[in-house]
Amino acid sequence: MPEPPRNNGQMFWRIVRRLLVANRGRLFVILLALGAGAAVTAALLNLQVDAKRRLTTEFRAFGPNVVIGPREAVDSDGPPHFLDESMLKQLPDGNDGAPLAYAAYLYGVVDIATPPRERDQRPAKTTSVILAGFFHVPLGPSSVVPAALVDALEKVGPSNARRCQVGQKVATILELRAGDSIGLTSGNRKVACQVYELSAVGGPEDSQVFLELPAAQALLAEPGRISLMQLRLSGTPQQIQDQVARLERRLPGADVRPIRQFTEGEAKIYGRISGLLAATVVMVLLLTSLCVMAAMTNVAMERRNDVGLMKAIGGATRRVLHLFLAEAALLGLAGGLMGAAAGMFLSIWLGKQVFGVAAQPRLIVYPVAVALTMMVAILGAYPLRRLASIRPASVFRGEA
Amino acid sequence: MFLRLVADSFTRRPRRKVLTAAALSLGMAVVTAALSVSLDVGDRLATEFRSLGANLLVTPEADSLPLEIAGVDYRPVNRGAYLPEADLPKLKTIFWHNNVMAFSPTLEVPVESWTPQFSPASAAFVKPAAHGDEVLIGAWSNHEVRLPEGGSFVTGLEQTSPWWSVEGAWFNDSAAECIVGRNFAKKNAVLIGSPVYLEGPIPGEGLRLTVTGVFSSGGREDDGVVAPLRVVQQYLQKPGKYRKLLVSALTKPEDDFARRDPKTMKADEFERWSCSPYVSSIAYSIKEVLPGSDVRVIRRVAEGEGSILTRVRALLWMVTLVALLAAALAVGASSAASVIERRTEIGLMKALGAGSGTVGFLLAAEQLLLAFVGGGIGYSLGTVLARLLGQKIFGIAPAPSLLVLVAVLALAAGVTLLGSAIPLRRASRYQPAPILRGE
Repeated sequence: MPEPPRNNGQMFWRIVRRLLVANRGRLFVILLALGAGAAVTAALLNLQVDAKRRLTTEFRAFGPNVVIGPREAVDSDGPPHFLDESMLKQLPDGNDGAPLAYAAYLYGVVDIATPPRERDQRPAKTTSVILAGFFHVPLGPSSVVPAALVDALEKVGPSNARRCQVGQKVATILELRAGDSIGLTSGNRKVACQVYELSAVGGPEDSQVFLELPAAQALLAEPGRISLMQLRLSGTPQQIQDQVARLERRLPGADVRPIRQFTEGEAKIYGRISGLLAATVVMVLLLTSLCVMAAMTNVAMERRNDVGLMKAIGGATRRVLHLFLAEAALLGLAGGLMGAAAGMFLSIWLGKQVFGVAAQPRLIVYPVAVALTMMVAILGAYPLRRLASIRPASVFRGEA
Repeated sequence: MFLRLVADSFTRRPRRKVLTAAALSLGMAVVTAALSVSLDVGDRLATEFRSLGANLLVTPEADSLPLEIAGVDYRPVNRGAYLPEADLPKLKTIFWHNNVMAFSPTLEVPVESWTPQFSPASAAFVKPAAHGDEVLIGAWSNHEVRLPEGGSFVTGLEQTSPWWSVEGAWFNDSAAECIVGRNFAKKNAVLIGSPVYLEGPIPGEGLRLTVTGVFSSGGREDDGVVAPLRVVQQYLQKPGKYRKLLVSALTKPEDDFARRDPKTMKADEFERWSCSPYVSSIAYSIKEVLPGSDVRVIRRVAEGEGSILTRVRALLWMVTLVALLAAALAVGASSAASVIERRTEIGLMKALGAGSGTVGFLLAAEQLLLAFVGGGIGYSLGTVLARLLGQKIFGIAPAPSLLVLVAVLALAAGVTLLGSAIPLRRASRYQPAPILRGE
């Protein structure tokens, strides 16, 4: 086919323009359908990218998932074994874009002396209890120490008296109240402190007494030592595995142990939820093609008379087809541009509703959504192929 | 005449109607799949979260303070209280008995493992030179609990701690067998099939067990030995007693209402609270059937589960809502287009004396017929899609629900009517003459 003359190109676009604006109501309906498709594509794709990342962060709610303890000595003489405190400095700084959350503990058995009480003439009493010296970074919702302890540290203002956080079970059995002063003794060393009762956590922490690490080290006469460290590594199961391997290389003297209960459980749940999110992609594709199909079949159906006329006055089938494909592409572009923009805002709002944090709009999603809409729009114009077989005469006679 | 007109419109241009019906079915299929998966996902994920193990811990109320470091209780056997094993079947009689997925009682004691004299398979053992700090845990592996109202329930550590991986086999619940932790096996050079000899708190009296498997838990248990509860009870002369009970229950994520103290609730509030499977209300009803027990929620598991479950559910509902909206828009648009297209026909009918009402009624009947056919096909397609997705993601297909069918048909009817109502309103204002002239 010879190259069409210049004024012919002008004619081409003029026809396309007239085709588009000829029927405002129809144009609106088509753009609505295309825009809805593009919006859904953009919103769900954006949310999908974001949701996976958010979920790995949500797993922080489970607390630590890796324990670093002393390597088992072969000629062990029973507990306790210790780690050196300096090991804390060898931990990596960050993890999955956030500061690494970790806590260190020193455990020991101490005697807890409760003062005599006048009200019911209770005599002074001494009981053995587990003391947990703790040190942790950072404080706040992503902390790895039990939430009750974080609450306790955040609520209590500065005070001159030394405080010790007493597990709920200890407090119940020893009938301790907030503000009571108790004495902790180990050998001939003694620390006096004021009781702060923790709420129940359902773990061994309920029967422990917590004290800041330096004070606990002094009381137990184990300066510079810790019993174990607890870490929260986040990321996909694969990323966590890699990080554990890296930690093992970095800390040759320690035993790095993922808490399988959480690492495996999380991996399983992560897999399921990723599956769910992948299912949304299937739905997105179906919905986009549905919306576009709804729009484009109308275009194809209405064009019979136009095509008949164009052919009758000598339009080649190819050029007529190009005309309609251009129309489809333009519609897809316009619908896609508007719909995808709406979809991005939709996903920001959805992210806020679901995760409390606005989903970060990923710019890559925008062109992908527009391209997808255009592509489906052109594919949706497939029924137009039938126009090639239209015979002008029968159209004009009004035959269907 | 009315029916003939409707039938005629379907037979005269079947291709057009098929296309509209196809759009409708596709839209309704997506809605059906999204709804089915969303309705099902809460239960499925809650079950999935049970792979994190127990979320409730039962201990004796009158217990002395446990001296527990990293999972090992260093208390002497004679101190502290015990709970009777005979009460356990009652766990399956509480209001939420169907939500109790598994439970397993345990009895722990620090022991010392003796070294075999000649080879790992040797029958003679000598006291080790250094003190060991092993722990012997009595537990159920796959124990059959007879329920009071007949029937039985199989549960044990395998269910409450599903992350344990056992090489070899679990022990038989009534034999003198055991499984040993990975570290224990390495340290004492124990193989599957070889005997171990443990000496506990009573000097001179040991326990000889055959190893049936080596397990890895990733916790402190890796340094210990797990044996049938009955064997450990006999050894400690505490028949029918246990010290710790792990319960794994399906729960509903806790909200502010769930966290309130049941003692401060009014009667109707208390009823609502105890009729929701919150972890705290299940704990409360367990405490009622196990006298002398202290039931604690393992916050770490329960709260993590609650927050993630809430998020994922919200996410899925949002996605469903968006899918629903988009499908409704597309279907509405296509039915609007199908009315716009028929302007000439409407003009002709009006020219022949049909009122706007009759024309509207005729078109509405057509659209409704299309909606039910398209909705029905869409529902079946969507159910298949939901089955595929459910099978792929969770291994279990969601059960088809009548509720979804009703919702889908209602939505299809509503959307097509609404979609055609707008052009119909305009059509009712048409003057027949210009339309017929082709203007």
